Amino acid sequence: MSFTFSTFVQQIINGLSLGSVYALIAVGYSLVYSILLFSNFAHGGFLVVGGYACYYLLTQWGYSVPFSMLGALLASGLTAVVTERLAYKPIRERTPITLYLLIASMGVNIIIENLFVVTVGGRIRALPRSTFPTGVFNLWEGITISSSDVLSLVTAVIFLSLLQLFLSRTRWGLAIRAAACDIKTAGLMGVNVTFLISLVFFVAGVLAAVGGVFLSVRYSLYPQLGNITTKAFVAAVIGGLGSLPGAVAGSLILGLAEMLTAGFISSQMRDLVVYSLLVIMLLISPAGFFGKKISEKI
Amino acid sequence: MSKILLEARGLCVNYGAIQALAGFSLKLFENEIVSVIGANGAGKSTFMNALMGMVKISKGEIFLDSYPLSRHNYKIVRSGLSLVPEGRRVFSSLTVEENLKIGAFTRKDKTEIKNDYEWVFSLFPILQERLKQYAGTLSGGEQQMLAIARALMARPKILLLDEPSLGLAPIVIQGIFKELKRINEQGVSILLVEQNAKQALLLSHRAYVLQTGRLLKEGASKDLLEDSDIKSAYLGHGA
Repeated sequence: MSFTFSTFVQQIINGLSLGSVYALIAVGYSLVYSILLFSNFAHGGFLVVGGYACYYLLTQWGYSVPFSMLGALLASGLTAVVTERLAYKPIRERTPITLYLLIASMGVNIIIENLFVVTVGGRIRALPRSTFPTGVFNLWEGITISSSDVLSLVTAVIFLSLLQLFLSRTRWGLAIRAAACDIKTAGLMGVNVTFLISLVFFVAGVLAAVGGVFLSVRYSLYPQLGNITTKAFVAAVIGGLGSLPGAVAGSLILGLAEMLTAGFISSQMRDLVVYSLLVIMLLISPAGFFGKKISEKI
Repeated sequence: MSKILLEARGLCVNYGAIQALAGFSLKLFENEIVSVIGANGAGKSTFMNALMGMVKISKGEIFLDSYPLSRHNYKIVRSGLSLVPEGRRVFSSLTVEENLKIGAFTRKDKTEIKNDYEWVFSLFPILQERLKQYAGTLSGGEQQMLAIARALMARPKILLLDEPSLGLAPIVIQGIFKELKRINEQGVSILLVEQNAKQALLLSHRAYVLQTGRLLKEGASKDLLEDSDIKSAYLGHGA
């Protein structure tokens, strides 16, 4: 493939669009990490729950797109809260070692994935195209942007801005930032830490669902769709685990790197580039661009 | 000094097989300053954490205003106990202002909160100058002032302090203890846990001496300052 300016611009647009979906997932991931200091690998499961909730609300029950979206966000948010209560809280109360939480989260991810395989089957589904805008805008000289890309970019910006406002302007947002700094001392301020953790999981679940729905639109929906969170995880590590601006920056870098590789080298090289970036980042600056200076990163 | 504000009866705390507190009892009267002194590992911090609901009590009871105290950390803060933790533990990635704001987390009385900002600034004027600075950039002494101010923003009936002198220069300690006296004069009862026995005894009205989880001695602070056993064990030469 030869280098052309229009391909370059086109792949930048595609990269930003993909990166914005990664960002929604990575930010939730990082938020949980910042409070409990473990990588929640069940995050992919939350995303799948959101995707299927949206699918069934649209196709089986015939609800409108906004209502189905809302249903998906709630389903995913509640799954996250229930997961924390059933799987993580008992462990948190017994041991301060977060490795157990990490292992439990891997287990939960497998459980959620297989629940869908058993109940609705493993076949690949598509969200009905008609319900989401499908038009393509011609921007300039063959450079296009699809309306679903526009929609996912705009939605990502809206949700990330809402999160930013919530964290910087509200009482509970301040409590979450304090807990990210020192959760035990946050408890000494009269913050109900159990509730705070549930709230964080709910927010992470909601963001994952938004990502899940857009991934289902962009690609398709299947029980293993959650595995794509590995990419969001890589993005969060590159940006610096536990840092929300870092998660967004890392996601955009990753989205751009993937799309530019696909545009100028080969689509098959995408993952190679992604994981090379991860290794290089860990070698040069293990804490990522904005990360907390903590030795353990998994 | 008439009414008992806080009472702990026969507190026991175990860490696995180790008994950190073995039936310790304490009373704090209204408007009083009480200190608990003892060597490292005597169970002082455990006692504070037990009061705040941070560690599980295996035996014993705690009463505030003669009502049993909740065992839930966040409810205890609402009922009027506020702890300045050991090592200050300010939220280093938040600004001074945000640290004070989170101190008032349990409160909804906006105008009163505003007055309390003025109050803590009158006690520690340096905090007002540093308002927009990240707490992590403050000096040790300033962080201790912030930790105390943050605890006061909860408008506590009792201010609890765990080793407030730890790691601070003597001149800084003097200043902070002077402010603690002022805080007490303004109606806040104080419970203080200290390794720095002399400072603690000079400030407090009464004191308890804790040794390996048990009460060794209790009495008026000025008597304990003159007590020959206490002098040799805790106050050191020429102290």
